[in-house]
Amino acid sequence: MSSPSPSLYRAADTGGSPNPSLIQIRDLVYRVAGIFQPDNKLRLLEDRCSKRMEVLGVTALRDYYDCLTVKPIRQAEMVALLNEITIGETCFFRNQPQLDALRDVVLTRILEARSKLPVRNLRLWSAGCSTGEEPYTLSMMLLEETNARLKGWNFEILATDLNERSIAHAKHGIYGDYSTRNIPQYYRQKYFMARGEGLQVVPDVKAKVNFNRVNLLDAARIAFMKGVDLVLCCNVLIYFDVSSKRQVIQHFYNNLLPHGYLFLGHSESLYGVSDDFRLVHLPSATAYVKTEKRQVAPQVKL
Amino acid sequence: MSTQATMLRRKLENLEQMPTIPTVLAPLLRYLEQPLDRLEVQQVVDLISQDKSLAAQCLYLANSPLFGRWQTVDTVRNAVIALGLQRMRDIAVSCSVLALLPQGKTGIDPVVFWEHSLGCALVCRQFAHKIAYEDPGKAYLAGLLHDIGIVAHLWIVPTEFASSLQAASFQHIPLHEAELRILGTTHCETGKLVAERWHLTPDLIAAAGCHHDAASATHDRALVALVSLSDLLCRMCGLGYGYNEQRQINFLEEPGFAMLAAECPSLESFDWARFTFELEAYIEEVHRLVSLVYRPQ
Repeated sequence: MSSPSPSLYRAADTGGSPNPSLIQIRDLVYRVAGIFQPDNKLRLLEDRCSKRMEVLGVTALRDYYDCLTVKPIRQAEMVALLNEITIGETCFFRNQPQLDALRDVVLTRILEARSKLPVRNLRLWSAGCSTGEEPYTLSMMLLEETNARLKGWNFEILATDLNERSIAHAKHGIYGDYSTRNIPQYYRQKYFMARGEGLQVVPDVKAKVNFNRVNLLDAARIAFMKGVDLVLCCNVLIYFDVSSKRQVIQHFYNNLLPHGYLFLGHSESLYGVSDDFRLVHLPSATAYVKTEKRQVAPQVKL
Repeated sequence: MSTQATMLRRKLENLEQMPTIPTVLAPLLRYLEQPLDRLEVQQVVDLISQDKSLAAQCLYLANSPLFGRWQTVDTVRNAVIALGLQRMRDIAVSCSVLALLPQGKTGIDPVVFWEHSLGCALVCRQFAHKIAYEDPGKAYLAGLLHDIGIVAHLWIVPTEFASSLQAASFQHIPLHEAELRILGTTHCETGKLVAERWHLTPDLIAAAGCHHDAASATHDRALVALVSLSDLLCRMCGLGYGYNEQRQINFLEEPGFAMLAAECPSLESFDWARFTFELEAYIEEVHRLVSLVYRPQ
């Protein structure tokens, strides 16, 4: 167990030190899934655990910790808890500091590296794109650059998800209030049109995104997604076991160009999972860059 | 060095315009340098209580979970007993330096400045604990005082400093780079002068003087490196000088990394990602704390 919540923060509003079982659960989730709940989010984690505890009929956090570690249901329960932790995170402009860092720092570096290559084309991959909010956000952001830094460039966004229904929704491109709550007014007016009670993404934004149903463990399918500058894979790896995680990371590694970037979700880490990527700090965000090593051939099943 | 830079340097070397730390602090620090078995709680309480404003601010900080408190303490004596002498020293120094900025409009938002200084102190201490650095208390002090050169700039070359910060903010570059261009010197060089003038210990002088060029430190290299990395981490995580430095940092390639790893081998396998995520909670608390403690007069 980590030091008692770096002895820095009181469990919100409780006026006392955090429940040790809650800290154990926080550390377990980080160890197993790679997603971290900082001390100021412990109250939120407690709420989410409470929801699961209600379903299971468990009253103490200590007993719930057992459900996540020793009971036969532990794997399924971890998935259920992760679902609670990441619930409601799918929306346009989900992680603004990450998007700002991408635009202000990473894009500049990618363009520098890419300009040494013959074709002026960018390829971004939203891996685990769910219902399409993330790739469309990227599309809008890059369209904004087409008269400036991306003048004379082409770009495409590959968007993949395992879920057929999510892909169908994404292709449709119509969204309700919840998904669209963070869209700045400027983007709302420029890139959306009213459709019934929702908003539909305009064709220019859609045209840049190529949706496909892909299993990230499917080496044969993934092998076709070469030459990528940047992968965004938010809150997806947390559901994989370590061995599958490593396989997916290997796929990303093989498909990214040497200057390639991997962005994960908020508070999501690759620590202890892979040495293929190095953590880098950007303004109020983190990302991973490829380390230099020999490319490993993908194992394609014939 | 240009004529202007030489003139600025002369002004800086002549630091009379700048206030010094509260009178009570020097005897307090000296007293606390003694072996633990010679220290008396009442003596420390008496020293802190001599300065009413300092005592009141100490109580604010003492009640913060950032200093490990979960229950309310309402007297200086209780605070010293509950938190220990070292923590009280940290708190007293923190409160003392808060009073050093010039009043009125300055080239930097004082709240932003103290959030950075206090945040850096806390990050230094937590980082030190995590990598088993020998003296987390010293790391805290070094973090708190690392930017003392900025305070001197605000007193002595306010206009030029304001231009430096403006340029840094506009170009999204580190402040010391803009200072070097505009002032011909940096807050590190000035910080070294101030720290020497205040007769701070050589390790604190080194941290104030070399935190932007850790490799240049000739002694106390691990402490300098620790402050350098913590300062950079704060600036990259939104606890800088009120603007974003648009850059990409790989901490493993920073000069301070190898210097610190030589003394703290566990740094080689340090989980930077987790520490960064933990900062989210620090930042929130530092904002709250500074807004409570810092009251411009």
